[in-house]
Amino acid sequence: MTTQNYDKSRSILGSDESFRLLVDSVSDYAIIMLDTKGQVASWNAGAEKNLGYRQNEIIGRHFSCFYSSESVNEGLPEKTLKLAAENGRYEYEGWRKRQDGSRFWANTLLSPMLDSQGTLIGFAEITRDFSERKNADYARSLIEASLDPLVTIAPDGKITDVNAATESITGRSRIELIGTDFCDYFTDPEKARNGYQQVFRESMVRDYPLELRHANGRVTSVLYNASVYKDEDGAVVGVFAAARDITERKLSEERIKQQSREILELSTPVMQVWQGVVAVPLIGCLDSQRTQQFMERLLDRIVETNSPVALVDIMGVPTIDTQTAQHLIETITAVRLLGAQVVLTGVRPAIAQTLVHLGIDLSGITTRSSMAAGLLVALDLLKLQVVKKSENHRGD
Amino acid sequence: MNTLCQGEMLIDTENDIVMARKSVREAAVTLGFGVTDVTRIVTAASELTRNIYVYAGSGIMRWHSINDSNVGLELVFEDKGPGIIDVKLAMEPGYSTGKGLGMGLPGTKRLMDEMDVLSEIGKGTTIRIRKWLRQ
Amino acid sequence: MPNGTVSVIKIRDILLVTVPSDPDDITVSELQEQVLYAMERHSAKGLILDISTVETVDSFFARTISETVKMVALMGGLSVLSGMRACVAVTTTQLGLTFEQTLTALDVDRAMDMLSVAMDDKGDSA
Repeated sequence: MTTQNYDKSRSILGSDESFRLLVDSVSDYAIIMLDTKGQVASWNAGAEKNLGYRQNEIIGRHFSCFYSSESVNEGLPEKTLKLAAENGRYEYEGWRKRQDGSRFWANTLLSPMLDSQGTLIGFAEITRDFSERKNADYARSLIEASLDPLVTIAPDGKITDVNAATESITGRSRIELIGTDFCDYFTDPEKARNGYQQVFRESMVRDYPLELRHANGRVTSVLYNASVYKDEDGAVVGVFAAARDITERKLSEERIKQQSREILELSTPVMQVWQGVVAVPLIGCLDSQRTQQFMERLLDRIVETNSPVALVDIMGVPTIDTQTAQHLIETITAVRLLGAQVVLTGVRPAIAQTLVHLGIDLSGITTRSSMAAGLLVALDLLKLQVVKKSENHRGD
Repeated sequence: MNTLCQGEMLIDTENDIVMARKSVREAAVTLGFGVTDVTRIVTAASELTRNIYVYAGSGIMRWHSINDSNVGLELVFEDKGPGIIDVKLAMEPGYSTGKGLGMGLPGTKRLMDEMDVLSEIGKGTTIRIRKWLRQ
Repeated sequence: MPNGTVSVIKIRDILLVTVPSDPDDITVSELQEQVLYAMERHSAKGLILDISTVETVDSFFARTISETVKMVALMGGLSVLSGMRACVAVTTTQLGLTFEQTLTALDVDRAMDMLSVAMDDKGDSA
């Protein structure tokens, strides 16, 4: 544009005509003039585009035709005029009806127009179609309402957006989080990095375990589900990742483990049956873990109670294999190292047969068929004798 | 729960075996191992550092906690000694070439949950052992 | 360094040796020598090796102790290993060290009893 042309156009720009052109060229806004009663006095191209009426169809009609019949019955159109006149302006959002009956979500600014004496001569209405924004707001509100922490990550690993749940689980605000490294908020940043890189590679991951660290140091165990999201052209823009807090689940798993541990301990009680004698009835199958635990408890109790003899009763053990026998021999050896001795009791016929058939040598070990017989051996080892009370001593 | 511990030390003198035991005990206790497992781990470390000292002259012991879904302790023993001719044979009970009781490697394996031996004749030996926190 | 000191106490004709909690190899080797010479010097008949403070027993330690017990036996003495901790007993057994030829006792008291009984028996038969 040359200076000359510009000069020529300036005279046009200053005129009412040019203002008319301006108003008409704004196609995204419906710019409407209403008279004091709300009848349409002027109509621009944006109004036609948004509401459907042509200028000659609408001039002189009451603007309540843009409202649903419910709104009209409630007196909404008149109310807005009144509020605008009283407050100097009135802005509101709501549904509007097009000529074809379809509706859209509109944002409307209504301003009173006054003459030089201050008398109300009408209203200027500017209406915009906010449907898209409303949809976006709606989607956003769903994201914000989600209890699962959501985050979007750019290909360079920077956080591009978060929801409220992410703010609360990290103890940091949106502003603080956006633009920082996703990995920084985990106990194992390397694993977090591998996680989102895997998403970019394979376009999704499921149940990826990570531990989120809160600003106050608290750690939350989470499982991430994440996938890539694309722009309109189908190019990958980033990763959308949703975390699920599994602290509760972990706690209950922990509780179950704890309980089974306790049951395991309960199932092998080590009792002191005499000064210097402890006894363990083994019940059920003896796997490695259980034998290990049994061995440790037995040894601890022997030391605690300073007992030189331990009765290990295998009456309740259904079967013995080479492995179990090996564990038993190991236990007996360890007990000997402490300076105590095991008497193996409750050796049933079937167990005796199995032991011999398996070629397990228990020859160095004192064995008895019953716990009672074992107790006698124990007392003998302690050089103790059980004597029946004589008649004379009765009642002493 | 999320204590990270790691370290490494040179095994060069007889006294380093004692120091190794001390460091490993500290790490195992910090991670929350029970007294018997601590003893197992320390004893394994004692066996393997002594192997380094006796067979290779010097080497390195490294340790670090594992913090995945399982918590555990990993120890790595590395030397540039003569290497083990037949690793499989060395893992058989009763095998020994030196001053030990022949319990060294197979005994150590029984104390731990995992054990890998990598050895190359004339190049050296790397032994990695792991113990998981029993839960 | 208290860790390096081995205490040897003579009670009548028994030697009570307290092994430090985490001895280095030199201390363990010297312990053997010290014990053997003390047995000779005091004409002791019995030896109690108290390992109640020992936290780790590896194959070197076990071998030295087993050897010492055999050497003491050759010199006509009887040895008792006393006070092994439960965690050490589990570990030692798993490692494959069983101290087969060695007498064991829960504590020093019981080791003393064991030795007096054994020495009385010997005295009777002599």
